[in-house]
This record gives sequence, structure tokens and C-alpha cells, in this order.
Amino acid sequence: MKLRSLEILDAKTKDKLCFLDKVEPNATIGEIKSMFHKSHPQWYPARQSIRLDPKGKSLKDEDVLQHLPVGTTATFYFRDLGAQISWVTVFLTEYTGPLVIYLMFYFRVPFIYAPKYDFTTSKHWVVHLACMCHSFHYVKRLLETLFVHRFSHGTMPLRNIFKNCTYYWGFAAWMAYYINHPLYTPPMYGEQQIRLALIIFLFCQIGNFSIHIALRNLRPPGSKTRKIPYPTKNPFTWIFLLVSCPNYTYELGSWLGFTLMTQCLPVAFFTLVGFIQMTVWAKGKHRSYLKEFRDYPPLRSPILPFIL
Amino acid sequence: MSAPVAGTSKATHSDVAAKKKKGPGALATAYLVIYNVVMTAGWLVIAVGLVRAYLARGSYHGLYYSIEKPLKFFQTGAILEVMSRVFLTWAVTHSVREVQSEDSVLLFVTAWTVTEIIRYSFYTFSLLNHLPYLIKWARYTFFIVLYPMGVTGELLTIYAALPYVQKTGLYSVTLPNKYNFSFDYYTFLMLIMISYIPLFPQLYFHMIRQRKKVLGHAGDYSKVE
Repeated sequence: MKLRSLEILDAKTKDKLCFLDKVEPNATIGEIKSMFHKSHPQWYPARQSIRLDPKGKSLKDEDVLQHLPVGTTATFYFRDLGAQISWVTVFLTEYTGPLVIYLMFYFRVPFIYAPKYDFTTSKHWVVHLACMCHSFHYVKRLLETLFVHRFSHGTMPLRNIFKNCTYYWGFAAWMAYYINHPLYTPPMYGEQQIRLALIIFLFCQIGNFSIHIALRNLRPPGSKTRKIPYPTKNPFTWIFLLVSCPNYTYELGSWLGFTLMTQCLPVAFFTLVGFIQMTVWAKGKHRSYLKEFRDYPPLRSPILPFIL
Repeated sequence: MSAPVAGTSKATHSDVAAKKKKGPGALATAYLVIYNVVMTAGWLVIAVGLVRAYLARGSYHGLYYSIEKPLKFFQTGAILEVMSRVFLTWAVTHSVREVQSEDSVLLFVTAWTVTEIIRYSFYTFSLLNHLPYLIKWARYTFFIVLYPMGVTGELLTIYAALPYVQKTGLYSVTLPNKYNFSFDYYTFLMLIMISYIPLFPQLYFHMIRQRKKVLGHAGDYSKVE
């Protein structure tokens, strides 16, 4: 087995950053990143982007040296992705915020509403129901982050946590302020509206969870494999026949349910913004599926059956 | 939208106000019309460019590059400017009658008008691949005075509108209501004014840097952009 040598250059300045010799041909990019990290301790592997071409795509950690189109001495280019933070950390932080913040408004902690309302509770039972639903939703998300999801990428850029938390925490505060306000007006059609909304909400929460489980089962533990998701015995997954990203479909449904339940315009805004973002993600995912799998079911739409 | 407060002080002002009201009012409207026509034309250029490129290539691939230049021309620095101008024109000057007679309105409308005449001449000539250096110089030099002038006019106008907004509750929604929503336009305007503090210097110094880059090679007289 002939050992290889390789050099790593800065993608922008083309400076020689590192020269590694006696590298096994079956070494992976991941291992090379660890070696590079030794000579440059400030660049831990998660923030390294290694490519064959300065402007090309990043190589994957699983790629093997001898399968790459390089000679006996390989040249790689490095780009610093910036400080990274793990997906799990981001998710836990961005979801714990809304949970706590909403409860602060629900319990009417001082300095939010007029002092005479401090620590009082709303007289409308829908407000209590809304608090339970909202809290349930975020507890579910936290548990899924810890026990269900299998992430393809370990990390994301650090600045994302500020952006994401501003979004989630900001909207949670805005919604919670109105729902728990002493002057809150319950839904126009009363109990009928609330009951329907609750059914939609619960149905979609179960649906969303079912999809997360189905997606998790596609992927063996610790792996990053990608497969086409298909309907399982669980009826909530049959929506895979029509949609590529039913997790987003159900998420939209949940928030539509919550909007109906609270009849609160800020909730409607939050639902709309979330829908736009999820549509962008769904379209991207759908496109990746189409590119990667020749036999991808043609009937499927990204997020809304037949529509979008 | 909001009725002027019919007090005695208004009655004495009314003659002068009526005369002054015509000036900026008509100018702002004329500006808007011209602005909209030109922007329509500009986006039409981009649309036509896209269609032609698609027909030529037969696919969506690389379409962006065919309209990249005019798109960048029309968008560079324009987004915030556009938003702030539409806001100033409709949400402040048009909506609060009382400020239409203020000198501050004349200040920012003049600044905008001169800026736009230069800017659209610049775009037109660039698209025709025949850009006189004088136009390029004007585009990257006049802003040094016009930007602060425009910003001052805008801020003074918003400031002048504040008491009327507070008194009349213009564009404001209070609780309780069936959509469980509220909005305080007065606070919103204050936040807008505050946002000028970080935004304006950034834009201004970005233009200064652009100026150094573009006019830096004062020796080259280039026809093609």
C-alpha cells in the first residue's frame, strides 16, 4: 500500500497551510481534518471546509482519499467556516426559550401587564388550553431533539443561534403577550371553534411526530445515509404518497390549529412566516431527492399535496 | 387620512398652509409617478432579459447571469432607500396633513429628486454601455451632501408628525378587539427614528467606500461598465 502525501492550501490566499506525508490511501477526509487540526488547533474539524477546488463544493467527511481524483501528492483547499455550534445545542436553546417565555406571560409575571393583574390568571378556559398546547408543542420538540432526530450535520455557524433565538423567542413573546392579556377576546365561534382547532392541532402533532419517527427509522444510528421515505403501517405517514416533507405539512397544520384556537393575529403572522420558511426548506429537500434518486415518486409535491 | 385638528390656531395658519401645502404635495405626487414609471421600465428590462435568455438557452440554467448586471444596478443600495422613501411618502407625509407644509418635506424631496435624476441617468447610460464619466462622478459624489440632507429632512418630518399621531391615534389599534392585536404607530415611528442611528452611517460609509473603489481609477475613462 503506497502512502500518499498531501498539502492543504488556503482557498483564498493559496498559502501553504499544512503538508502531510505518509498518509494512508484509505484515509477519509474526516481523518485528514483531524490531522490538520493538530497543526492548526484553532480550526477544529467542524469548522474546516476541505475541497479539491478553491471555489468547489466541500468534500464529505466520509470521502476516501484514494477514491478522489488526485495524484500521489494531493492538493486540497481549505476554507474556515467560522465558529460552529452543534445542532442539538441550537435546537435545545431555541426551543426552551418559547417554553419559558410563554409561561411567564401566562402566569402574568410583573412588569408585563398593569400591576393589578400581576400573578392573576385569565378567566377564559381557552387561554389555559392554549398554554397547554403551546407548552406541549415545545416539550415535544425538546424531547425529539434529544431522542428522535438523527442529524446529517453535526454543526452550524455560531451566528445562527442568535438569529434563530431572536426569531423563536421574539415571536413567542409577541404571541404570548396577546393571548394572556387581561383584555384578550376569546374566539368568535366559541366552543365549536376551539374544539375544531384542538382536533386539528392534536392530529397534526401526532402526524408530525409520526413523520419524525419514520424518518429516524430510515437512518441507522450514527449514520448519515439518505433514503427515500415511504408510507409505513402508521396511517399518519400515508401522506408520504403525496408530499416529500410531510413533517412541515403537519407543522403548518398544527399552527393553523393554534391560530384558530386563539384567534390571534400575531399567531397568524407566526404561522405565515413559518410556512414561508418551511416551504423554502421543503422545496430544497424535494430538489435534493429528485437529484439523488432516479426513481423518486413523481406524484409528490414538496409541502402541499398537488399545490406547492 | 387623519382630519386636521380644527382649532383656532389652524384657522390663522390656513392661508399660508394652503399655499405651502400645494408645493411639496404636488411635487411628492409627481415624484411618485415618475418613480413608479421608471421602476416599472427597469423591471421590464429585467423581465425581457430573462425571457430572451430563456428562449436562447432553452433552460432555466444560468438565467440569473443574463440579468445579473441590470438586476444589480436596480438593487444595489436601493432596498433600504426604496422602503424608507415609500414609507416617508405614504405613511408619514401623505397621512399626516400637518407635516405637508413643513420645510423638512421640501428638504428630503429635493434631495431625493436630484439623487434619482442622477441615478437613473447613470443606469440608463450603463445599460446602453455608454457611461459618461461626468455621470459616474456625479452619482458617486453628490450623495455626500444629498444623503445627509435627505436623512435630515426625513427625520425632521417624522418628528413633526409625532404629536399629531399621538393625539389622533393614527394607524393605531388598541385592545380589546376580536383579532387580539394592537399596534402603536407613535412608538413605531420612534423606533424608526432610532433605527436611522445604526443604519445611516453604515449606508453612508458603504457609499464612501464604493466611491473610492469606483472613482479610484480616475485615470481610466471607461465606456463599458
